[in-house]
Amino acid sequence: MATQAMVNFLIRRVFEMAIVLFLSALASYTLLSFAPGGPLSFLTSVQIRLNADDIARIRANYELDLFVPVRFTRWLIGQPNGPLYIGGQLIGADVVVGCRIPDTINVVENGKVVTREAGCRAGQDVTLLDLAADPTRRQVRGVLFGDFGLSHQILRNRPVWTLVESRLPYTIQLMLMSTTLSILIGVPLGVYSAVKQYSIFDYIVTTLSFFGSSMPTFFFGLLMIMLFALYFEQWNLPHLPPGNAIAVRDWTMGTFMGDWRIEAGSLADRALHMIMPTTVLTLFTVAGWSRFVRGSMLEVLRQDYVRTARAKGLWERVVIAKHALRNALIPFVTIVVFSIPGVFGGAIITETVFNWPGMGRLYFDALGRSDYPVAMALLMITAFLTVVATLVSDILYTVVDPRIRLS
Amino acid sequence: MIKSKRFSVLAGLSVAGMVIAACAPQAVIQTQVVQVTAPPEVQEVIQTQVVEVTSAPVEVNTAFTTPHPILGDARVRQAIAYCTNRPELIASVYPWASEEVQAGLLMDTNINSASWASYSGPEIQTYPFDPEKGKALLEEAGWTGEPFRSNADGFPMFLRFTTTTAAFRVTWASVFEQQMAACGIQIVRNHVPASWWFGSESGLVRRDFELGAYAWVGETDPKGQTLYACNQIPLPTNNWTGQNYMGWCNEAASNAIQAANNSLDQAERIEQYKLFQIEFAKDMVSLPVFQRAEGNAATLALQNFKPSATEYYTWNSHEWSLTDGGEELVLGLSQEPASMYTLIESAAVQRTVAYLVFEGAITQYNYNYQTDLQAEIPTIDNGGLVINTVDVAEGTEIIDATGQATDAEGNMVTLSAGVSIQNENGEVVTFEGGSAMMRQLVVSYKFQDNLTWSDGEPVKQADFELAYANDCNEESGAVDYSTCRAIESVEFTGDTAFTVTYKPGYFAPLSFISPIGLYPSHQVLSDGRVLADVPTTEWSSLPEIADTPLGVGPFILTEWNKGQSLVLEANPFYWGGELAIKKITILIVQDTKSAVAQLLTGDIDVIGSETLGAGEEVQTVLDNQDTLQVLIEPSATWEHIDMNLFIP
Repeated sequence: MATQAMVNFLIRRVFEMAIVLFLSALASYTLLSFAPGGPLSFLTSVQIRLNADDIARIRANYELDLFVPVRFTRWLIGQPNGPLYIGGQLIGADVVVGCRIPDTINVVENGKVVTREAGCRAGQDVTLLDLAADPTRRQVRGVLFGDFGLSHQILRNRPVWTLVESRLPYTIQLMLMSTTLSILIGVPLGVYSAVKQYSIFDYIVTTLSFFGSSMPTFFFGLLMIMLFALYFEQWNLPHLPPGNAIAVRDWTMGTFMGDWRIEAGSLADRALHMIMPTTVLTLFTVAGWSRFVRGSMLEVLRQDYVRTARAKGLWERVVIAKHALRNALIPFVTIVVFSIPGVFGGAIITETVFNWPGMGRLYFDALGRSDYPVAMALLMITAFLTVVATLVSDILYTVVDPRIRLS
Repeated sequence: MIKSKRFSVLAGLSVAGMVIAACAPQAVIQTQVVQVTAPPEVQEVIQTQVVEVTSAPVEVNTAFTTPHPILGDARVRQAIAYCTNRPELIASVYPWASEEVQAGLLMDTNINSASWASYSGPEIQTYPFDPEKGKALLEEAGWTGEPFRSNADGFPMFLRFTTTTAAFRVTWASVFEQQMAACGIQIVRNHVPASWWFGSESGLVRRDFELGAYAWVGETDPKGQTLYACNQIPLPTNNWTGQNYMGWCNEAASNAIQAANNSLDQAERIEQYKLFQIEFAKDMVSLPVFQRAEGNAATLALQNFKPSATEYYTWNSHEWSLTDGGEELVLGLSQEPASMYTLIESAAVQRTVAYLVFEGAITQYNYNYQTDLQAEIPTIDNGGLVINTVDVAEGTEIIDATGQATDAEGNMVTLSAGVSIQNENGEVVTFEGGSAMMRQLVVSYKFQDNLTWSDGEPVKQADFELAYANDCNEESGAVDYSTCRAIESVEFTGDTAFTVTYKPGYFAPLSFISPIGLYPSHQVLSDGRVLADVPTTEWSSLPEIADTPLGVGPFILTEWNKGQSLVLEANPFYWGGELAIKKITILIVQDTKSAVAQLLTGDIDVIGSETLGAGEEVQTVLDNQDTLQVLIEPSATWEHIDMNLFIP
């Protein structure tokens, strides 16, 4: 019976997830499609003379000559790629899906001339047949089938997935390390602070938490670079590399036991490069999570069942660990699970400050350079992980809290 | 029941929120301003009017040429120039620069003072800071009152100043606003996203501004035809084509800029640019604010580090060496090249790497030209460049008087009645039928004899033939085919030599630079095909072209770790001989602060101007000149304020 309920629940949730993902995709794609700028902006920054045909050719390179709904369905499901071919017949070859050179009309609005598109110039329609016959047009498969399209700017004309692949391992490495450390440090701190409420330890943790959560990561990052990379090197102390995921050449780290030669790309090199970005991210996360666990724990400690457990004469350690902590962690599950998208999405500021080649930096770069296929891919990955995290957190609730039933 | 729908909605909203947040404008930054004044200078005031645009081929509806009620008056424009304390603006954005450096950033015309085409004679009207003179001009033009002026009709002197949200523009624009207020001109700053300001259907292109600030990148050849000619004013009637965003049409200036761009004689060009600059300064339609400063920094051990405003700093990497005998260098680059396929990618970072791998046909160090892969610069004197007079029959494809091979719709221009052409004497005439005597350019290009690909294969004729066939194929993905369209025929005369016959009427000043490059026609791709057999539409996605191409330059790109670094090793077959530097690693460092930190720790040896820029980080490197060589110079990029003479 419980299994059947779970199956029904999962079916319903997967269906809901698909709708949410579709709406996210539609909203993001539409917003980015109508954002000013785009791949043609550079034409205004160089001294160049282009005729209407040139502009049409450049627009076609980026599929900007296709209607937005057509572009969207091509991006999402890889259709249309051309007319249907059924029984030796081409169906829909003449269906218009875009316009190479739009006609324009100039109207005066509020004393200013505004140019508006007004249909398509004669003979400049893009048909389904053009999509299939034009060798400069790409046959797409769609995001649904793993084709995220081609990068417009960052890795021009090459698959977006190549970019994602190159960044993902570094982001996972950094975020996983920081998330794990945050849990390992944040939860005990929170618990201990709650148990020792209003103690000196609690005050210190509370103060540091406020400090950690209010300190901007870029500032804290730069501060660490100055201290542990620049000044420590000047003072002949063991210094850390100021940025990057790995060194490009062997380097020397002065220690109290003499100079250590660190080989570029070695495990030690990679570990040393991770220390500062991980620390910044961890401190920031620990600050928030420890406060959350403390609050949750305090609430649970006031519950009758905890008082009962104590009244039964159980050891305080058992009361805390078994009765209080398990219940206090139920809401914390949501927070931890919702950090999953972040593990893959990266941390924009920290990655930028430490020149970490991760997804956050890529997203920032994609928006800055109007590389919308890349930005869309990252948004979709984030949206997908967010809905998956929602599902996982719902399921985990039932695991950590037997009172909750899926229905 | 779990409230899963809430989470679902949150998921959707969070994605949309990320998009919106990413589009949010930057914060305004306040800065301290250093007061610097220049001595007043008495100038003759010249009044000009907006000239109705009538020159062919652009048809202009006079309804769109109503002068701007304030900026249409030259006296007002000149007053704005006099009221602008440019040294103060420079000091506001480059507080770290010495007085000497700051003075070197001032410019009076559209051409950088270091350029061969710059003219600074007494005919050039200059506008040193003189608010009293500015106020007098405004009074004379009928703008009176305090604190902000108005005219006799009560029309307020209120101008919208549009520019981007870039921090340094916000800085100097806020100072400019104060300076204008001191003269009674009310400025409202409108900081807009660059994507709107430089958008393809908004901002500048639609001339949607009154005062507008942005930058042009100066070049060794000043060009300027698309920026200042009468027929280059973007208008609703010409579908907003052209880059003369001010809507300025001064016939003398327009003729001069077109003549300067249609001559091969440098002396003649200098004369035409002089005429243009006189008109440009006199009409004051675009106030040159300053040349941007740019800083380059490198380890003291690096020798022959010669960055230049008009060339990428890697142009002479074959001359580099290290005093300590080292053989490896690490360069920091603020952005990763999008592709090594030079035909489709032209960003500065790409060119910086491309010089290491391919080199250039001709280099442009310090506003001048030097031979590189091209063994010589073809000139009339050395016989490499020949001007023939030919009898052109009606219907023949030609280049029209504006230098175009195609009309506005993209059709090839042919000699037909009504077409404006240059005759054999270089005079602009309208063709009326029959045939016409026109000039035809024939240029012989000669590359270095000992060019060898980095895989050891000597360069041969087929390599140039492949480049011509590919690069001029309009499916190749290039942006501009204007030079290809100007070519009538090409005769390959040897492994590294060929002669190009241009269409009658083509007279571009830069025709001494080869329009044809070279590709390794022998290269076998990973899928077994030979490069010469691969359709042009596939080239941009080929790893052998986009990632690790063969080249004839000093270095071979051997490894590209996306998002992190590019590794280049010395090319053993380099035509220029053995290199002192054996390995160059290019580290991608987006954040300038991070790049400087790595420069100071010795993780990076060189950062060029594209990475160091001219912000506060320059001060940091200047403070470390005991370990670094820091070169600060005026960039070719210059900030200016365009004044829109009539808003369509």
